[in-house]
Amino acid sequence: MNVFYWTVAGTASGLIIVGLWGVLTRKNILRIGLAFTIADTGVNLLLVWSGYLPGRTTPILNGDVPAAEAVSAVVDPLPQALVLTSIVIGVAVAALFVVVAVLASRRLGTADIRRMKELKW
Amino acid sequence: MNPSLASALAVFLGGMMLAASVVVLFVRDLLSAIIITGMISLSASVLFLLMDATDVAITEASIGAVLATLIFLWGKGKMGGRE
Amino acid sequence: MIRTLFVLLVLLVLAAAATSVIPHLKMRTELDGAGLEYARRGLEDTGSINLVTAVIVAYRGLDTLGEVVVLFSAATSVMLILSLFPLGRGPTDPSFIVAHTARVLPAPIMLLAVYFTTHSHLSPGGGFPGGTIMASAFLLVMLGSSSTPAGSKILPALEALSGTTFGLLGLWGTMTLGQFLNNRVIGIGNPGYLVSAGIIPLVSLAIGVKVASEFSGIFAAFRKSGGNR
Repeated sequence: MNVFYWTVAGTASGLIIVGLWGVLTRKNILRIGLAFTIADTGVNLLLVWSGYLPGRTTPILNGDVPAAEAVSAVVDPLPQALVLTSIVIGVAVAALFVVVAVLASRRLGTADIRRMKELKW
Repeated sequence: MNPSLASALAVFLGGMMLAASVVVLFVRDLLSAIIITGMISLSASVLFLLMDATDVAITEASIGAVLATLIFLWGKGKMGGRE
Repeated sequence: MIRTLFVLLVLLVLAAAATSVIPHLKMRTELDGAGLEYARRGLEDTGSINLVTAVIVAYRGLDTLGEVVVLFSAATSVMLILSLFPLGRGPTDPSFIVAHTARVLPAPIMLLAVYFTTHSHLSPGGGFPGGTIMASAFLLVMLGSSSTPAGSKILPALEALSGTTFGLLGLWGTMTLGQFLNNRVIGIGNPGYLVSAGIIPLVSLAIGVKVASEFSGIFAAFRKSGGNR
């Protein structure tokens, strides 16, 4: 029973659920963006967790980790590489979200999505 | 890192992140919500470091915790007091 | 009311799906699949000590190129929207503290960014964090001046130059070795030295400058649209 391993998994899943809850129930459009960011953080944590192996070390093969023993000494580098790009994309998309939200709220005079009737069809 | 210390840190940070994420949804002041979201990102970067993902930890600390917070703060300023 | 019930239902279904996985979860103790191959052959193949950088730039370089394209379209959309619908009266005067901090801090911040970007194959870091730290140095300079953002002609040029460099480095591999972004086109050298790992440092630099110019463009558009209100 590895406490650290399962704690991180629980935290990540909890963040995803709370983030989705916020996206579905909040009314302020900027707060929906914040909830989305939280769910994004949870997804990134879960992806890195899927490549984590307890008791191993960072995938950098310097003097401490000889290349010959790398297979049994380092964690999985692939999920880390995926998450690295995912974080950057997440922030760029959040910037686009915020700009569109600001324009919509200024044009319609409200930040409450219940009153943004033009967006519904 | 000492496994029991890492576990204690993970339990503390994880519990705090989950509590903070619920607070973000319900706190009345939007400014507080934005700052707390940045704090969740910063705690996540510590968890990344504990999971031996150093590159991801650096990226999350510089992008997720700082730039995202800045962008949301700009958005809040531009929206004025509209609720 | 129906809406709240619907949301609760969706969340319950999601939570049930998530909990049904729990009994099947096992702790991973061994590498398998692609990760195993990367750990076994990464250093030999690419000459990069940092395996994460090896995956991002060499093995999955094409995915990174696609990711940079997504970043480019998001940044361009932000700049386009903000230039079509201007929001404010232009930048406001910086306060005393910000103006004086902005004279001192950008240089050390830039040094850190250049270190992260150029040492991506040796230590943690890489083009993505390096580029955003460069962009934050640019943001600090911008916040410290009361005029409109300088260098708005340089940014698109840098963006185009770095994007083209990335593509051409990839095509170089296609033409000489028949594989896009093959980093052995100039030999991998002696792993552990700054000049090693083939074209990985060059591609990393291109990614760093690209990311820096995208985020700087977003911030310049934000700054042009003014402070509060």
